[in-house]
Amino acid sequence: MLVKHRMTADPHAVRPGDSLAHALRLTREHRIRHLPVVVDGELAGIVSDRDIRLAMPSPLTVADADRAAFLERTPVEQVMTREVITTGALDTVEDAAKLLCRNRIGSLPVVDAHGRLVGMLTETDVLTAFAEVFSAGGASTRLEVLIPDRPGELARALGIVGGDLKLNVTSLMVLPRGRDGQKTTVFHVGTIDPREAIEALERAGFTVGWPSLETDLRKGMAS
Amino acid sequence: MSGHRTALIWDPAVTGYYFRPDHPFNPRRLELTVSLIEALGLAGGADTPIVAPRQATDRELLRVHSAEYVDAVKRFSREGADTRDAWKFGLGTDDTPVFPGMHEVTSLVTGGSIQAAEMVMGGEVTRAFNLCGGLHHAHRDRGSGFCVYSDLAAAIAWIREAHGSRVMYIDYDAHHGDGVQGIFYDDPEVLTLSIHESGRYLFPGTGYVDELGDGEGYGYSLNLPLEAFSEDDSWIWIHERLIPEVAEAFRPDVIVLQNGCDGHVLDPLTHLRATTRLYEETVRIVCETADRLCGGRVVATGGGGYAVWTVVPRAWTLVWAGLSGQHAPDMIPREWLDRWQGEAPELLPERLRDPAGSWPAVPRRAEVEATNRRTFEALRRQAYPLLRGWGLGF
Repeated sequence: MLVKHRMTADPHAVRPGDSLAHALRLTREHRIRHLPVVVDGELAGIVSDRDIRLAMPSPLTVADADRAAFLERTPVEQVMTREVITTGALDTVEDAAKLLCRNRIGSLPVVDAHGRLVGMLTETDVLTAFAEVFSAGGASTRLEVLIPDRPGELARALGIVGGDLKLNVTSLMVLPRGRDGQKTTVFHVGTIDPREAIEALERAGFTVGWPSLETDLRKGMAS
Repeated sequence: MSGHRTALIWDPAVTGYYFRPDHPFNPRRLELTVSLIEALGLAGGADTPIVAPRQATDRELLRVHSAEYVDAVKRFSREGADTRDAWKFGLGTDDTPVFPGMHEVTSLVTGGSIQAAEMVMGGEVTRAFNLCGGLHHAHRDRGSGFCVYSDLAAAIAWIREAHGSRVMYIDYDAHHGDGVQGIFYDDPEVLTLSIHESGRYLFPGTGYVDELGDGEGYGYSLNLPLEAFSEDDSWIWIHERLIPEVAEAFRPDVIVLQNGCDGHVLDPLTHLRATTRLYEETVRIVCETADRLCGGRVVATGGGGYAVWTVVPRAWTLVWAGLSGQHAPDMIPREWLDRWQGEAPELLPERLRDPAGSWPAVPRRAEVEATNRRTFEALRRQAYPLLRGWGLGF
């Protein structure tokens, strides 16, 4: 999944000379938190609603009218961040997610090879993308299967479900952390009746959880 | 709550909706149910007529299915048909295999639900129960999850076209009613309400609170996903609130009710843990709501239910008794047990209602109940304000 599939193209942007009042209005009207700052299409900085609020004089010491006047006369360039962390349209969403996490930031301007702004990717965009990856991918039943972390084991499980039983696997996740040398996988299997698949997998030595490994009560009510 | 004439739609021919011998969707359950209803003397009287279904016409099917799909079903219906492209239509799978005559018999099942709607809307009866209907996974252009045609959508579309009435569809099958929801997703005159085991674990993997409809129909698709291992108390607590509250705001002219009974603790395909109390209580809640708001009109169908011997006949007999306002005695007649026990692979229960305390409480009951309450509050918060009549009738 590439950034270009998930970003907002033609995002709202401001120029360095625009007032903070204008920038703040944009963030409120469009319910966004970050505005890229551009000069002739090229990315020059980024400003967040938080940057603007932090720059504002305190309401405890300064009258409202003066605060409003401050916002009107102060240009964006005075509070914007100039060293911007960016991503490219052809980068992967996974990499972009890492950038957001590592730098603890909320959005990434997307730039082309010439530094021109082509989009914005926010943490919400990334979360939405991941929520989709975790989804069922079609009418299906979800099974959790413990797979020994050895070559051929995942293929063996898939061979049973997809090959022997000819069931469509609509989505498959392999969770990176496992236990006892086994990895937890989540199969979405395109059937309303997974009993045969569960039985065949268990017969082949796999541990299966339905509805999940944590909550499977088939082996009795104790849990 | 008597005085409601109620029709049972039934003819043994509908048991031809039969995929293959070892398939879980087993028409045996229909014969068992009708014979139990008859053994208890609950049908066949002047106020409880048994009426044979008719075939749905092509025109009626095409209101809710694409011409391409209906043509394909007809084609696969012939003996020795080439079924290589059946997968494109969700057919020829383990779940929904093709079989000779499938178009004809599914049309009969569908016609039964339309007929139930005709009888109710025409005033001939107040309620009707097409127990072979309830195929809620069929989509406009494909079959799915044991369902070929959507008898439910066809009946609702018939009501819309013939009467222009506002329809509330209630579905408490353990699986999400995705087919019916999808067909009316952008229609504000058809409100779909599905209560089911969360799609996080169970087929078809949809039916979340945020599936609210689209376009004009935004706010008219409602979903309440229950936690796996939900039991009667939590489930009924939700129905007691959700069904009347939504109906009060929506003001339906008729309720279409899908009574899939696969949420029972003995059902092999789901993780819900209802007892027969759920079916009795839900039908009571729905009928009281219909009596108050829409002249008592309820068009009811069956649905899922895979504990063929031990659950379905009892659950649907209770549904029938509730719809027709009759008291069903608790003891199952000896003649019925004698007639069927020989064929049954398990011991048949002797009581219509599961005695309280028949199954141990689930571990983490409090957590399951708290999660359900939270989901219900989320649905209230997100969906209710979108309903036209919200806040007017209270």
